[in-house]
Amino acid sequence: MSQSKDNQTFDPFDPTGMLKQMRDSNMESWSKIMTDFVNTEAYAESTGAMLDAWLTTSGPFRKAMESAMSQAMAQLNMPTRDDITRLAERLTNIEMRLDDLDAQLSEGARSNDTQPTN
Amino acid sequence: MTTKESTQTVDAGMPSFTEVCQNWHRAAENLDRFNRMLTTDAKIAQTPKEVVWTLNKAKLYHYIPVVPEQDRKPVPLFMVFAIMNRPHVLDLRPGHSFVEYMLRHGYELYLMDWGEPGPEDKNMCFDDYVLEYLPRAIRKFKSVSGAQEFSMLGWCLGALISTMYAALRPDDGLKNLLLLTAPLDFSDQEAGGFTRWSSNPAFNADTIVEKMGNVPGEMIDSGAKMLKPIENYFGSYSMLWDKIENPGTVEAWHAMNTWVRDIIPMAGGAYKQLINEFYKENKLMKGTMQLRGETVDLKKLKANLLNVIAEADHITPPCQSEAVMDAVGSEDKEVLRVRGGHIGIMAGRGAEKNTWPHIEAWLAERSGS
Repeated sequence: MSQSKDNQTFDPFDPTGMLKQMRDSNMESWSKIMTDFVNTEAYAESTGAMLDAWLTTSGPFRKAMESAMSQAMAQLNMPTRDDITRLAERLTNIEMRLDDLDAQLSEGARSNDTQPTN
Repeated sequence: MTTKESTQTVDAGMPSFTEVCQNWHRAAENLDRFNRMLTTDAKIAQTPKEVVWTLNKAKLYHYIPVVPEQDRKPVPLFMVFAIMNRPHVLDLRPGHSFVEYMLRHGYELYLMDWGEPGPEDKNMCFDDYVLEYLPRAIRKFKSVSGAQEFSMLGWCLGALISTMYAALRPDDGLKNLLLLTAPLDFSDQEAGGFTRWSSNPAFNADTIVEKMGNVPGEMIDSGAKMLKPIENYFGSYSMLWDKIENPGTVEAWHAMNTWVRDIIPMAGGAYKQLINEFYKENKLMKGTMQLRGETVDLKKLKANLLNVIAEADHITPPCQSEAVMDAVGSEDKEVLRVRGGHIGIMAGRGAEKNTWPHIEAWLAERSGS
C-alpha cells in the first residue's frame, strides 16, 4: 500500500524514483515483447547470419595471426600453440592409461587382502 | 494546476537539510554497495571437500561428512553438473546450499567437476564424457566409498550425460537416478529459444567450432541471457537496487551473480554434437544416438528415476524432459514438477522448502542397504 503511494508521489530527493516508476509500469510488457521477439524465426535467422558473417570475416585475420605467430615461434626455437596442444593431448592419453593401471593395482591389492592366508 | 499540486506536495513533506544530507549519504553508500556486488566475488562453494580423483581438467570431489558414520545412508550420491558452467551452484553459499542440506541428512556426497576445457580439448565430445571420464570417476568413487550401489544426480547437460551413462551401463551399480531440468527430447522444434535458434538453417555449429575450437563461455552466457533479455540484462540489476538495503537479499544476489559470472567455454566437439545430434536430429529419443559405436537404448535404463521439471524453465522447457518417462525401462519412476526456473528450483530462495525436501525424501526411501 505504502509502496504504491510512494510510486505515485514525486520525490525530488529520490533520484531513482522516476526511473523506478517508469520501470514498474513498463517492465512486464517490455519483457514479454522482447521474449516473444527473440523467439521469432526472423531473430533466429538474423542471429545465425550475423554470427556466420562475423566468423567468415574474422577468420582470415585470425588465420594470418596464427600463421605469423607460428613462424615467429619457430624462428625463436620455441614451441607453437599446436605443439603444446598436441603434447597436452598425449598427456591426457597417458593420464588415462595411468588411471587404468592405478585401478588395476588397487583391485589387485584388494583381492590379495581378501584372500585367506595360511 | 499541476505545478501548484506538485509544489504543495513538496512543501508538505519538505525535509530538513540534515535529512537531505542523510538521504544523499545513504544513496552514495547504496551505490557503492551496488558497485561492489557487480565487481567482486562472493565466497561460494565453501563446504569442506577433498579431491579424490583427477583426469585432465576433471576432478572428483568428496564432501566431508558431517554426521557420524552409523547415521549415514549406505547408498552414496554422485552429482554430475553441466559441462558449460561451474558446479558451485550446488553448494552456493553457507546456509543456502544443497550440498550442506544433503550432508546434514546423512548422505555421502561426491561431485564431478568437468573443469574448464583448453584448446587441446576442442575435440572432446559426449562419447568422452559418458564413456571415458564418467566410468573412470565412478570406478574411483566406488573404490573410495566402498559402495557397490549408488545414486546419481544429473543437472541440465549433466542430466543428459547421466541418462546416457545409465542406459549404456545399467549394471554398474546405479540404483537411483535423479534428473534435474534434463534436456532430452527435442521433437518440438518450436519449444524454447535454443531449439528455435539452433534448428534454423542459418545457424551452423560446424562453422562455429571450426573457427573457434571451443565455444567461448561468453557466447553461451549471452545466448542464455538473450532468452529473457529484459530480466537478465535489466531486471536482475534493478531488483538488486530495490533491495540494496536488505542484507539477506543482497548476499543471495551476490552469491548467484558470482556463479553466473564464472563462465567457462564448452568443448567444441560436445557443442557440435549437442546442436546437430540432439537439438536438430533428436537422436536420443529416436533411439539412434551412438556413443563409441554403442547405441543408447533408453529402455535399458533400469534405475529408479526421479525426473525434476521446472515449470517456468526457459532453457530446458518442460516438454524436453517429460517424454523420457515413457522411454526408459525403469519400473519405479516419478515426475516432480516444481514452480520456478532452470536454476531457481535448486538454488533459488524457495529451493530449501520446495525442491530439496522432495528430493531427499525420494532418495531416503531408496537409499537403504
